[in-house]
Amino acid sequence: MNNQKLILTEHLSKIYKMESTIVAALQDINISIDYNEYVSIMGPSGSGKTTLMSILGCLDSPSSGSFYLDGVDVSGLDDDDLAVIRNHKIGFVFQTFNLMPRANCIKNVELPLIYAGVPADERHERAIKALQNVGLGDRMYHKPTELSGGQRQRVAIARALVNNPSLIFADEPTGNLDTKTGEEIMKLFADLWRNGNSIILVTHEEDIAKHAKRIIKLRDGLVIDDNINPTPIYI
Amino acid sequence: MEKFYDIIHQAFDSIRSQKLRAFFTLLSIAIGVFAITFSGSLTNSIDSTVNAQIESLGRYTFFITKVPAIQMGGNDWFKYRNRPEISYRQYLDLQEKTEDYAVVTGSAKSTGFTVKFGDLETDPDVTLVGTDHNFFLTSDLEISNGRALLQSDIEFNKNFAIVGNDILVKIFPNNPDVIGKEIKIDNKPFTIIGTLKPKGALLGQSQDNIIIIPLSQFLTKFSSQWEQDVVLIVKANNPVEFSYILDETIGQMRIIRNLKPWQDNNFEVQTNESLSDQFGSLTGYLTYFGVFSGIIALIAAGVGITNIMLITVKERTREIGIRKAVGAKKRLIVLQFVSETIVLTLLGGLFGTIFGVVVGGGLGIFVGTSFTISVKWVLISLTISVLLGLASGVFPAYKAASLDPVDALRYE
Repeated sequence: MNNQKLILTEHLSKIYKMESTIVAALQDINISIDYNEYVSIMGPSGSGKTTLMSILGCLDSPSSGSFYLDGVDVSGLDDDDLAVIRNHKIGFVFQTFNLMPRANCIKNVELPLIYAGVPADERHERAIKALQNVGLGDRMYHKPTELSGGQRQRVAIARALVNNPSLIFADEPTGNLDTKTGEEIMKLFADLWRNGNSIILVTHEEDIAKHAKRIIKLRDGLVIDDNINPTPIYI
Repeated sequence: MEKFYDIIHQAFDSIRSQKLRAFFTLLSIAIGVFAITFSGSLTNSIDSTVNAQIESLGRYTFFITKVPAIQMGGNDWFKYRNRPEISYRQYLDLQEKTEDYAVVTGSAKSTGFTVKFGDLETDPDVTLVGTDHNFFLTSDLEISNGRALLQSDIEFNKNFAIVGNDILVKIFPNNPDVIGKEIKIDNKPFTIIGTLKPKGALLGQSQDNIIIIPLSQFLTKFSSQWEQDVVLIVKANNPVEFSYILDETIGQMRIIRNLKPWQDNNFEVQTNESLSDQFGSLTGYLTYFGVFSGIIALIAAGVGITNIMLITVKERTREIGIRKAVGAKKRLIVLQFVSETIVLTLLGGLFGTIFGVVVGGGLGIFVGTSFTISVKWVLISLTISVLLGLASGVFPAYKAASLDPVDALRYE
């Protein structure tokens, strides 16, 4: 399987049934993403980019069409199977960081490893390593509330990386950060890509999208543009 | 095991982070469990004390009385009331007819008397016991000074008194030499011939506020002609023939009371066994009452806990979203919230149990019964706590587990 793709979707669609109306959030999406790609999914709010990320991130299932992740058809899997796939293959970084406020950084980063059944000692070691890799070696025992926005996002990135996923999703990762801190985070993503990670960046900002090597544009649930970005920033 | 430890650890973490809410939950469970353990421990204490008390009267002793010691329900009340009293004459007759194989003591008792010596007097709350020379053989009272009653004291109707410690303290505060002194019981003169060894309190009541006088004195001076009811205490001389002696004595009593063969006994015979059975059913009611009110409290607590956990789930929607996003399976989320609830209810149960045992046992000490920790009731309470956690945690936990991760992550 030389030509196996990291992500391959065929006629993927997602339809929400409201009380009286039917909303097609995604229609006939056909995307193929290779290993170690750095892709932006871009579009205004309501374009379906978050729905797409939810499905590609195995948080949600498509209404129709098929979706292969790592060569495995995941479109028909149940919640628990999807949970296992998220645990092993996907790391999430969110706009609002989504850290557990009462747990310190190590505990936060350890969380995916707990559900992966990693023994406590190894968990602790790997969490420390992940935090050191994002430059937070001296803040490991702090709680998220004691950290700046940029530092919080680094904790979230460490958590996303700790279980060595095939794919990292970043949903508006700079949305809650000032420009300077945002740039630092984007540099970090560029480093991650250089180290062999596959990254999908979801954003509505052109400036942020331009950090990726390929930009997929969505509008009204349809892919309207899918092109290589000739001038990715930091790369 | 690793996961199990993590879950318990997480449960404690989230309880720590919501101290006030946890406190109220703990309180409600503690109250319910307290009611159960408390009544269990208390009735246990009473049971063992009453049994010890009954036991101390002697295994081969039984009582003949007009009415039962404990009456439950109102239907028999008239039947008992219309029975003829057991008279002084009947007492003497039984004593004479059974003298070959049993010792019969007659005793009558009333309370509310005032005892006076010189200017000093007691409150009108002294218990007066009229009895005979055999009394000290069948009771656990002991003489500390002077002498007990003699048969001649009864026969010659002497105004002699044996006085309990509570009374001595009040009317002879500084005088240890009381034998031969003349006191007045409700203004009737009596000479002290002996004092009783102090016994302390039982079920909150002092057992030393008592004066013992000859039965003949009691009946002539302190009870009206129509209520000369004597309690007969019969002690078998030969333990081996106890049941035979019991039957024989009942037969004699029927003859004395002119009962025809087809008539029922118009008196009660109470052995230690039947007495402790009666106490058993009394404490049984107490236990049922405690358990019943405890269960009501626990049901209320359970509803409260479910509510609190539902709020907790709502508040922690985002956290649940995060956990699901990083790979928590449904059943792990269920397990987490159920075990959090159980840790909570178990803690509450533990506090309630400790309270219940301490207060129940402490009250036992206060009312003069012994302090007993009922392992059975502790285990029952803790089991109930766990089941309560399970029952009230399952619904909120399922609600948490079925949250849609996408929505949960966006929850504000």
